[in-house]
Amino acid sequence: MSETTKNTAIKVLVFSTEKISDPAIDLAGLLKLHYPPTVYVIPLPCSSAVKPKWILRAFEKGYDGVFIAADGTDCSFSESCVEKTSDIIAQTHILMKEKGISPAKLKMAAICSVCAEPFVKHMNNFVEELTRNKIN
Amino acid sequence: MKKKIGVYICHCGANIADHIDVEKVRESIASDEVVFLSRTTMFACSDSSQKDMVDDIKKQELDAIVVASCSPKLHLQTFRNVAVRGGLNKYNYVQVNIREQGSWAHSDTPAAATEKAIQLVKAGIARVIESQELTPLKIEAHNKVAIIGAGVSGLRAAVELADMGTHVDLIEREHFIGGRVSQWGQLFVSEKNGEEIVKKLYETVIDHPMITLYTGTELIARSGSVGNYNLQLKITPRFVTQECKIGAFDKAIEICPVSVDDEFNFSLNKRKAIYKNYESEFPHIAAIDMLNCTKCGKCLEVCNSINLNQEILIENITVGSILLSTGFDPYEPSENEFSYKTIDTVITLQQFKRLVELSPNKLIYRDKEIKTIGFIYCVGSLQIKGDNKYCSRYCCTSAIHTAIQIHRKYNIKSYHMNRGIRTYGKQELLYTESSKNGDVYVEFDPKKEPIISKNGKQTIIKVVDLLTAKEELDIPVDLVVLVTGMVPRKDNSIADILKVPIGRDKFFNEIHPKLRPVETVIDGVLIAGACQSPKNITESLKSSLAAASKANSLISKGEIELEPTLAVIHIAQCDWCGKCADACPFGAILKTSIDGKEVAMVNNANCKGCGMCLPVCPTDAIDLIGYTNREIESMIDALID
Amino acid sequence: MPETTVIKKQYDALVIGGGIAGGEAALNLANMGFSVVLVEKDLSLGGKMIHLSKVFPTLDCAACITTPKVSETARHPNIKIYTYSEVKNIKKQSDKLFTATVFKKPRYVNEDICTGCEDCENACPVIVEDQYQHDLVGRKAVYIPFSIANPRVANIDMDNCILCGACEKACLAEAIDFTQVIQEIPIEFKAVIVATGYDMFDPKKLPNYGFEQNKNVVTAIQMERQLVPTRPFNSVLRPKDGKMPNNIAYVLCAGSRDETVGNPICSQICCMYSIKQAQLIMGALPMADVTIYYLHIRAFGKGFNEFYQQARSMGVDFVKGKVAKITEKENGNLIVRFEDVYKGKVKEAEHDLVVLSTGILANKGIVELFPGLNLETDPFNYVKQVKELENPSQTSIPGVFVAGTASGPMDIPDSILSAGAASSETASYIRRLS
Repeated sequence: MSETTKNTAIKVLVFSTEKISDPAIDLAGLLKLHYPPTVYVIPLPCSSAVKPKWILRAFEKGYDGVFIAADGTDCSFSESCVEKTSDIIAQTHILMKEKGISPAKLKMAAICSVCAEPFVKHMNNFVEELTRNKIN
Repeated sequence: MKKKIGVYICHCGANIADHIDVEKVRESIASDEVVFLSRTTMFACSDSSQKDMVDDIKKQELDAIVVASCSPKLHLQTFRNVAVRGGLNKYNYVQVNIREQGSWAHSDTPAAATEKAIQLVKAGIARVIESQELTPLKIEAHNKVAIIGAGVSGLRAAVELADMGTHVDLIEREHFIGGRVSQWGQLFVSEKNGEEIVKKLYETVIDHPMITLYTGTELIARSGSVGNYNLQLKITPRFVTQECKIGAFDKAIEICPVSVDDEFNFSLNKRKAIYKNYESEFPHIAAIDMLNCTKCGKCLEVCNSINLNQEILIENITVGSILLSTGFDPYEPSENEFSYKTIDTVITLQQFKRLVELSPNKLIYRDKEIKTIGFIYCVGSLQIKGDNKYCSRYCCTSAIHTAIQIHRKYNIKSYHMNRGIRTYGKQELLYTESSKNGDVYVEFDPKKEPIISKNGKQTIIKVVDLLTAKEELDIPVDLVVLVTGMVPRKDNSIADILKVPIGRDKFFNEIHPKLRPVETVIDGVLIAGACQSPKNITESLKSSLAAASKANSLISKGEIELEPTLAVIHIAQCDWCGKCADACPFGAILKTSIDGKEVAMVNNANCKGCGMCLPVCPTDAIDLIGYTNREIESMIDALID
Repeated sequence: MPETTVIKKQYDALVIGGGIAGGEAALNLANMGFSVVLVEKDLSLGGKMIHLSKVFPTLDCAACITTPKVSETARHPNIKIYTYSEVKNIKKQSDKLFTATVFKKPRYVNEDICTGCEDCENACPVIVEDQYQHDLVGRKAVYIPFSIANPRVANIDMDNCILCGACEKACLAEAIDFTQVIQEIPIEFKAVIVATGYDMFDPKKLPNYGFEQNKNVVTAIQMERQLVPTRPFNSVLRPKDGKMPNNIAYVLCAGSRDETVGNPICSQICCMYSIKQAQLIMGALPMADVTIYYLHIRAFGKGFNEFYQQARSMGVDFVKGKVAKITEKENGNLIVRFEDVYKGKVKEAEHDLVVLSTGILANKGIVELFPGLNLETDPFNYVKQVKELENPSQTSIPGVFVAGTASGPMDIPDSILSAGAASSETASYIRRLS
């Protein structure tokens, strides 16, 4: 990403999880794997704790995309995490449609605690996709 | 609401300052009306910086602080303690990660990295404004550790913990203890035998009043958390009750008509369905392998201590902490890898060690006396195509030590086809000794691996030697030994049960190799020995002892402080619907009645602070302490402001 | 930490050496509730690690790991620390109790009131070589050892002080005290952990490499100082003319695996620290070529081989061969004569800076601390682990344990585990006494 495109840059809000996906995002930094600097991360205990209203607020405030870096099957709280996080996404997608926001702006993927490379790939692809949609 | 905040931006030497304009970050937040003071510092974590922060808090009467530095996983506690020394509540501190998720991740775009850091610090300030004074939860801790795996690491940790006054439940999946070391025969360093090491540990364990040993036992479920783990154990019977008359067991083994591959000897020979792995094995009672037993009843005729009707038992235990010492599996070469399983004179180092152990005078394999041996190194390690990119650490030294042993014992000459010998430290002396014995070292290019063939009865290793200007050699040998590395246990279901993270090498992952090498991100679950990464015996023992001291200091005080991350119900908004109770995996939400109104109530003792109840509430009546609407929403706003 | 806390004469354990192994062992014991006295001969805690740049294989910054541990140790209520002190005459008073004397050397600065403000340093007119920068730059006769030292207090180097009194005038806290003498403090304790670390091999013992004659031949430790964030020149420069090097060579096994210099064993860390420095150099000097002359690469620990492969993929040139001789050209460049093993030929190559990856040696003199007690060592003068496969920290004296590199070469992760083992064995030993 060019340094001058800052103001038009795609902004992504990531909800990570303190024990699983946030360590992977840290690891990406440690390995100097680069992803767009307009990706901002808020860590939570678990990806099943994200309130749809937080996601909607992010879109209202001007984020171009929201990404949930989910615990997946690695969740230390409950196996139901995968299902619960998916439910949150599905429910939020409905609310987004009602507000005329494209569901493509909200994504989720399970990021394990050493999934640094997958995280970076997800970010690069997501930002690229959002950029394409923004231009079109 | 905090209004007098101190903000510190760390250079981290050059780690942050090389890519982020630290002073610019400071300037951009300095004028915020809640920011009373802002400073940059070379190393925020250094003692002098910490002292300065404490002084600032006291003298300037700050009501909260923010430090923008590395990941909170490293220094959250460090700066919380600073807050406490300054007289603040430790939860009025927020750490902002501008290194792992700032300067390092975006070192390619310094201007943008600086912009990101500014937003992150603003969000940190927004969060600390909303922060509350909290008291950590104190929970009771059981002064008992479940050690999973009774190899040398597990046995040694058990003895140490018990000596330090902590109860131990030592749980072994097999019917016999000792793990891989009991299979290993002679060991380098002391020339002791693996069985001797295991014997001594077993005797201490079995006599120790603080240790309970479970064999044939697997962990199948867990609930609870640090201080209070409930574990469900499945105990498979050995179908043999006690020592019966001398000789009766031997007769039972003799009479058993079933013959299966002996896994303990890596299928070099056969064993019966009623078996012992070696003569003096621990516990001293044979076991019946029910997968292969035909229940013919012949053994019952000669031994009255056998009971084929014993049943699987389920037992529940409660412990404060769990120590995993589940060890490794030897790498199993795929069929055809160096002609393994296609040429009958190719075996693995593990098989060879057993063969040496079972051959007192002459070394005979498949009826042929062995005079020369070719070792092929790095089988299953340092893979170019496969996933195992790591070095298995023990194997160079082990193979060379074995070569010295067989030179002494049988006067065997050996050839070592290697990829660079890694006898680190004092182990170098073994390499020197082997070379002096006349063993030949040949280095091969991993892209041009040695080829094994058989010409009539003669096994030949064809290899290009890098050390003699790529000379092509045909080395006739009697036996080829594949120096196989370590891989994680094939059945690693325990990782799923305990949710232990797996590293890039697929071994269990520690929090930090230098700061917290035996701890995992799951509080109270520790790792020791080769389940964390390949190790030799001494290294495994060191890590198991280190884990023992961590476990002891964690739970021996009888109580543990936990984060006060709990769900809270805003009664006024709650019209009991039960969705939160359904979502809670811990049964921590109950229905109650307040002033005649049915509402939800959180049982703090059961709440683990996951937040799964938050999004399901139709009236948004639940907040998670530390992650309240106000905190999260103010961060969302500040990051894009 | 200012030594104002009540001096308690009796402790559960004495830890000798305040490097990472000693610090970790002391912290573990203190966290288990034991009282510990920690004696460090240097001016600061943190040992050798606190001076390093980044550490393999994760490239964490060494200071970021060391300083908080050091602070935690210094602040722990169960730990009493003596820096710039030596412990001597460790004797057994009974089966259960040792006695010894701590000799606390004078700093000529009152530690309790010095604020570490550096005013004295600025006032001092004497400039000498700075041992903490490995003589790459100067320091004053009164000085704070280094920026992240703990305790961060000044010290007067009496060998170089001219007693002009400038520091005394400059010090507003009135901390300068020329009357200090050696203090002798008797102590009693139940167990000892020896964590005295290692020494670096002296490259002058390798005449063919011409260390000192060839100005642009440096040791890896000197190079390390050029790579730390607080580096003296803020860049990598060669000593002879301050030129930025662009073709750097590493010579591995300098003083290791070499019977002729009396050190036949492998030092276990040099391959990895050289690979790490090579990666850092490629970051600091993107145009530079780095060549590593090696015999075998010992990348054996968790993540080490992956780290080695990373260096290869970054373009570090690995040449298998023993370096026979290094000679200097007029322009300061160096001719490295080596046997290219894979080609089977003796070759020469020109580099503008050569780094000797010197090995490590036992820190001698530990045995003398225990007069009348027989502390056994191995043939290389490391403290002998008498039951390595059972109690890896146990030494020949009951109640004396060993942690870290005092027992042999090891890297940082292994030293931490070794210290964990030593504290565990010490704890159960003390419990068994009562």
